[in-house]
Amino acid sequence: MDLNKLRETAAGIVSREDVKYLIGWRRGTFGYRVSPYFIEDAAGVEELIFSPLCISNLATYLTLVERLPVPRGQQPDERKVALLVKGCDSRAVNQLLVEKGINRDRVIVVGLPCPGMVDWKLLAEKYPETEAPVEMRWQGDDFLLVHNGQEIVVPRAEALAEKCRLCRHPNPVISDATVGEPVQPWEPAEDSGVGEIEAKSAPERWAYWEEQFSKCLRCYSCRNVCPLCYCEDCILDRLNPTWVNRAFNFSENTAFHLARAFHLAGRCIECGECERVCPAGIPLGRLNRKLAKTVREEYGFEPGLDAEGEPFQASYRPEDPEEFIL
Amino acid sequence: MSAMLLPKDKWPEFTGRLAGKNLFAPALQGGIKKFAPVAAGDTVTLDEGNTTVPPKALLFPQTETLFRFAEGEEGMELPAIDEAAVLLGVRPCDARAMAIVDKLFRWDYEDPYYLKRRELATIIGLACSEPCLNCFCTSVGGGPASTEGLDILMVDLGESYLLEGLTDKGQALLDEFKDLLQEAGADALQRKEQLAQEAAAKIKRSVDTAGIPEALPGLWEDPLWQRVSAACLGCGICTYLCPTCHCFDIQDEVEGAAGRRCRMWDSCMYAEYTKHTSGHNPRPTRRERTRNRINHKYSYYVDKFGVIACVGCGRCSNLCPVNIDLIDILRQVKAAP
Repeated sequence: MDLNKLRETAAGIVSREDVKYLIGWRRGTFGYRVSPYFIEDAAGVEELIFSPLCISNLATYLTLVERLPVPRGQQPDERKVALLVKGCDSRAVNQLLVEKGINRDRVIVVGLPCPGMVDWKLLAEKYPETEAPVEMRWQGDDFLLVHNGQEIVVPRAEALAEKCRLCRHPNPVISDATVGEPVQPWEPAEDSGVGEIEAKSAPERWAYWEEQFSKCLRCYSCRNVCPLCYCEDCILDRLNPTWVNRAFNFSENTAFHLARAFHLAGRCIECGECERVCPAGIPLGRLNRKLAKTVREEYGFEPGLDAEGEPFQASYRPEDPEEFIL
Repeated sequence: MSAMLLPKDKWPEFTGRLAGKNLFAPALQGGIKKFAPVAAGDTVTLDEGNTTVPPKALLFPQTETLFRFAEGEEGMELPAIDEAAVLLGVRPCDARAMAIVDKLFRWDYEDPYYLKRRELATIIGLACSEPCLNCFCTSVGGGPASTEGLDILMVDLGESYLLEGLTDKGQALLDEFKDLLQEAGADALQRKEQLAQEAAAKIKRSVDTAGIPEALPGLWEDPLWQRVSAACLGCGICTYLCPTCHCFDIQDEVEGAAGRRCRMWDSCMYAEYTKHTSGHNPRPTRRERTRNRINHKYSYYVDKFGVIACVGCGRCSNLCPVNIDLIDILRQVKAAP
């Protein structure tokens, strides 16, 4: 990855008068952390990075930003927002466009072909987080970790994030500018997480999810980080009627997670953010990937590959299958 | 008050007998570390680090029934809070947090639910020997062997645990275990001091908090709030897992002719927090919400109760999925003009 080229491209974009800011990543304040980074002027690009630690999907910020009423006499800020996207992130942008959640004219998409990201939690035991931020780079097929001043080659299989092992679209599927050469897609691994659930009987599955959902803290980080969970008025926050009680228990927690999973069926682009941010370690990716798999296998549909077209849940064909319905 | 030694070979008997007293201790449950009930025969292992969920959850439960109601003349029922509990292995930061939160729940209205649970709980602390990466207790008035909020402080001396009675409640508990304990000598207390100093020296991150409460009101419109909140997801991780955060919401759950009024944790980072019925929200964006979170801990609470409502446990910095780092925010506050 040519960082200079990326920074040059970013500087060009943020210098434009019709651009509000560019959303990228910068080194975090400690350990393996990387922070989403909002760049408003060309000087800011010096801190911009793209490394194997840039796992977060920035597309969520397109809809997370509050749209406040414009005071009388003032004009709304119509400037564009520029966004760095990996393959998976770019699918979120497409899906938002299909759903008319964002306006194409207001977004500049900078595509970054992605060789695969690191799940730092896989590394932390062997190479603990340090006060000084660690650096990581791609080196051939593997990762190079600079830890306590030492350069360590971490084999790809040791640190590659689960979502990247399963990745089918490492190259951005939408972009106004691309930095870097397209990567050769790799053979996606068997989805052993979903496989494990599928192998269970119905009562075993219930027991599994009961244990998982009972751990949920209802912090809503999974909902908030999800680029496709962007209802302005979420049913979880409704008080009248209270569709889901805020009370913390298995029943309400399950209502929350099932509501979210079904709302994401045919929309989830498998960026894995929900599972990554969960402080309770709930394997939400398995739930969403199972639905995505059903949609893919039964309907031949994969969301987010195209900026045009019909949303999955809004399309109907008489020959749609229904064999999987219990 | 006494200082006693518990030889480690007596640990299983000690915890076994405590288990009969409604004991809670840190345990890994499905990959998340929290205080969990200990049954007779369970092994209690106290390892390094802290729980993800702070022990506040036992005194101020995430969801708590205030009363149950049903149609009819005598349809009200208050929950009974009458079971004593022992919390074992509470870190000094989390115990300090209890002492800090006590001030709020004892303020103009005495909260019977929290205070009753607090009164019924005996808190046995465990001094830290290996601070975590984001621990900064010494920056906010605490320390690895701080005793505030504790009934008993326990220090791992290697061969044995030193148990110091700090309150009548703690001393009464120690007295019940006299047969397992021996009087600690001056050398043990000296060793404790030495270990506490060594642990404090291992703390990696710090921030000079002097002047922050005074500086914050003047930074109300500073661009730093936009900067530090831009990446915020508006989730509840930093507040739910903070040992001093104590905001709650109250909701009624009604089914047919009966129901309950309960209170549950709320988070000032949520979009609907302080949203008025009219739809107006005085904290309309994550900028105002982040500013409120920091001001509440480092300014308002100091004004009202004379203490910073942060104990430096580092959970918020550790667990934030987008690296919103409290220590970094405080450093930016210090650096602001």
